[in-house]
Amino acid sequence: MTRYISRRLVHAILLLLAVSFFSFGLLQLAPGDFFDAMRLNPEISQRTVANIRSEYGLDGPLPIRYERWLSSMLKGDFGFSLASNGPVAPLLCVRVRNTLLLSGTATVLAWLLALPIGVWSAAKRGTWGDRISRVATSTILTIPDLLLFLGLLLLAVRTGWFPTGGMVSPGADDLDAWGRAKDVAVHLALPALGLAVVMLPVLVRHVRSAMMDVLESPFVRAGRGHGIPRGRLLFRYALPAASNPLISLLGFSIATMLSTSMLAEVVLSWPGLGPLLVESILSRDVYVVVAIVMLSSVFLVFGNLLADLLLFASDPRIRAE
Amino acid sequence: MNSTRKLWCAVILLAGFHALILFAGFFAPYAPAAQDRDLPFAPPTSIHFRDAQGRFHFRPFVYGLKDDPANPGGYEADPDKMYALSSFVRGAPYKVAGLVGSHLHLFGVAADGRVFLMGTDGYGRDQFSRFLYGGQISLLAGLLAAALSVSLGVLVGALAGFYGGWIDDLLMRGSEIFLALPWLYLLFAVRAALPLHVAEWQVFLLLIAVIGMIGWARPARLIRGVVLSAKERKFVVAARGFGASDAHLLFTHVLPQTYGVVLTQLALLIPQYVLAEVTLSFLGLGVGEPMASWGTLLAALQQYYVLASYWWMFLPALLLIPLFLGYYATADALQERLKAVPL
Amino acid sequence: MRADTQDGTQPIDPVMRAVNLAKRHIQRRPMTQREFTVRAFEDVNLTIHRGTTLAIVGESGAGKSTLARCLALLEEPTAGEIWFDGRDLLRLHKKERFPLHRQIQLIFQDPTAALNPRLTAEEIITEPLAVQRIGPKEKRRRRALDFMEQVGLASSDYSKRPLEFSGGQRQRLAIARALALEPKLLILDEALSSLDLLNQQMILKLLADLRMAHSLTYVHISHDLQLVSEFAEEVAVMSAGRIVEQKPAAELFARPEQAETKALLAAMPPLESILMRRPA
Repeated sequence: MTRYISRRLVHAILLLLAVSFFSFGLLQLAPGDFFDAMRLNPEISQRTVANIRSEYGLDGPLPIRYERWLSSMLKGDFGFSLASNGPVAPLLCVRVRNTLLLSGTATVLAWLLALPIGVWSAAKRGTWGDRISRVATSTILTIPDLLLFLGLLLLAVRTGWFPTGGMVSPGADDLDAWGRAKDVAVHLALPALGLAVVMLPVLVRHVRSAMMDVLESPFVRAGRGHGIPRGRLLFRYALPAASNPLISLLGFSIATMLSTSMLAEVVLSWPGLGPLLVESILSRDVYVVVAIVMLSSVFLVFGNLLADLLLFASDPRIRAE
Repeated sequence: MNSTRKLWCAVILLAGFHALILFAGFFAPYAPAAQDRDLPFAPPTSIHFRDAQGRFHFRPFVYGLKDDPANPGGYEADPDKMYALSSFVRGAPYKVAGLVGSHLHLFGVAADGRVFLMGTDGYGRDQFSRFLYGGQISLLAGLLAAALSVSLGVLVGALAGFYGGWIDDLLMRGSEIFLALPWLYLLFAVRAALPLHVAEWQVFLLLIAVIGMIGWARPARLIRGVVLSAKERKFVVAARGFGASDAHLLFTHVLPQTYGVVLTQLALLIPQYVLAEVTLSFLGLGVGEPMASWGTLLAALQQYYVLASYWWMFLPALLLIPLFLGYYATADALQERLKAVPL
Repeated sequence: MRADTQDGTQPIDPVMRAVNLAKRHIQRRPMTQREFTVRAFEDVNLTIHRGTTLAIVGESGAGKSTLARCLALLEEPTAGEIWFDGRDLLRLHKKERFPLHRQIQLIFQDPTAALNPRLTAEEIITEPLAVQRIGPKEKRRRRALDFMEQVGLASSDYSKRPLEFSGGQRQRLAIARALALEPKLLILDEALSSLDLLNQQMILKLLADLRMAHSLTYVHISHDLQLVSEFAEEVAVMSAGRIVEQKPAAELFARPEQAETKALLAAMPPLESILMRRPA
């Protein structure tokens, strides 16, 4: 069993190394020396610039530069952000937290909805309810995400039921902890809802098809023959049997938590990684861009690894080799 | 509705949509860059058959616009100015696909009148015309990028599946890396590495290249699967038996088996890539003003007052839905047919 | 129709000889990935006499199909020699082997799988001609139509696709394709197994007629000893990857020597009825 884990781990690390090559390459592609702009900034002395340059190893040959860049990344130093005049890492911390808050909430919401809908849809296959849910999921899939988020924004603007952006209201610092939490929750509602709706169709489809496979199987039919009540049969017996593809899907959901919310954040002004990425691109803040790409790739790779490990742990058939 | 009929319906819908876009010059009453500074944010023009006195006209007409005193910045219809809507009018010159020039437009009104089917934006530009012309950019970008992705996918998948061994390992590891990267972020990152201000058509080509080169991994895997099973089929072995070369086997026997998967992948990728271009342009990272793509049309909605007051600015986004519907329905129907025919 | 092999004084020149042929491949166990060797066949010595019909029989899994494919140059044996036209085929380069495909052809068990369902009958038969670069297009086409007639198909059906033909007709189509190159040696890998009895007899008759017309040598791979007894002139018995006996048919059936042969024969209906059915 440890062989399996270590093999997947090595695989993940190699993958990340390849991603880091790629990101580093991107860094090199950016035209002009990043520090040219910095040099023009009168607040920073030439000496400082020269020091930072040698610290980042920008005056060495390519492999050395890569090694220094990689080692500083591993130590948690993600570079320097020109736009905000400070190191990148603390900038990212806050944003990552916000993004995870949003996508975490949306993911939980989406799964909480997808499981019952998918199971019920599979159980009542062919009936009107099933057809409606299938049409609904197809419809949501057809609507471009951008449109959905813009539509939600319009809803917020027109009805005033939701705040139209941001994470906190002005003056929120004056509130107590509970008040602040409520404030964030109110701001979270719309983006999380929108994101959950976007995630829903794919999840429902997978749950439904996994359940349909299981419901055909002999042991479920036997259960019905034994008179096990329907609800219990569905959720206590059938669903666990269908869990293999769903666990993989869950892993995938976790893996993409840093990246799925990007558009939602930008349109609905949620201060996460998404808007930061866009601003950084527009302001040529290369280190931030690369750091974000690396970070979300790390998340993706480890999320997939986690999914594989979960699957391995939960399915005795795979373990018995 | 069986899958063949569904397929035909979807294809006809798509063909109609694309024809509209291809002949944008003909269907659009105005040139995309034509500004009417007197009429910023005008609502969609209503077309009437019955005038204020209740008389019926066979030829539809529109009213002129004048400022609405009750609503600053708004407009109301001017009943004194009636402009008939004519068909096949002579208007601004344009070129179909950049080749054939013409002056003919499907419909229009006399010079003083305006017919804004989808209203105007802040510069007084007709949104309907801009939608059609913008489609040329967004749709073309999506089509070309999808063609690029799928071509790369076929190349990689066929080589990996047919030859196996280290080629297969190498190519599949490579595709894993691309699949491991978050697609949208990667797109943005590569866009970031490119110079921000280049000539418009260069941006366009770069955009296509970037979008297309990121998405080849999934088609490659699918095609590899098809090739793997196809090359084991007895008729391929039989062809080896009379000395057929690898190239002959690939082109005559193996690749034709992939047509179904190729078409389905195209039908799925085109809308995704169109959306990618729209998103990039929406955020100001794609094609810039004054070149109108659907994304730049929607970008105005990022401003609060536009979003709140001018509902017609949403229309370009809504019109994307039938386009996506057409493509997804095509993909669905194709997948059904693929499953049914045990080739 | 038999070539005169019984005359001990005049050995008929063999069209192909397999010497010490062996094929092994390495497979991995599914989960542990440990390797183990599979021996398809070993120490195969086979002589195929010109103009005869040789049947290679044995139970399923004896390695017969793999042997057939090796003889048809579709697979590489791991050891041994195949002598054909005075040359060892296995020592030849790819380029030198190319024209050899015109001389040796294989007919597969399942004609439906062996024919590309997207191609028309004409395309199927002209493909080998095109690959071997024979003649201008018009000539290939005429040859294709001609062979269709020879195998008993209507040449007006040239634009039909395999699925529009019946099972028996598809096998005829496969035979026409194989014959288009005018080979000397035709190897039939269980080619009759997937046909019903009537079609089997019809195809057997067709093969007999064609042999006369084109001076062919046949090698039939079969597990059906009863069927084999109806047409084979020589029989080689294969068991567990080895050829245990090769003799003229009548001798084999009358006086089997090896235990495996006896076991095979024992599974058949009584010998007399078989011997009575064979033509003199």
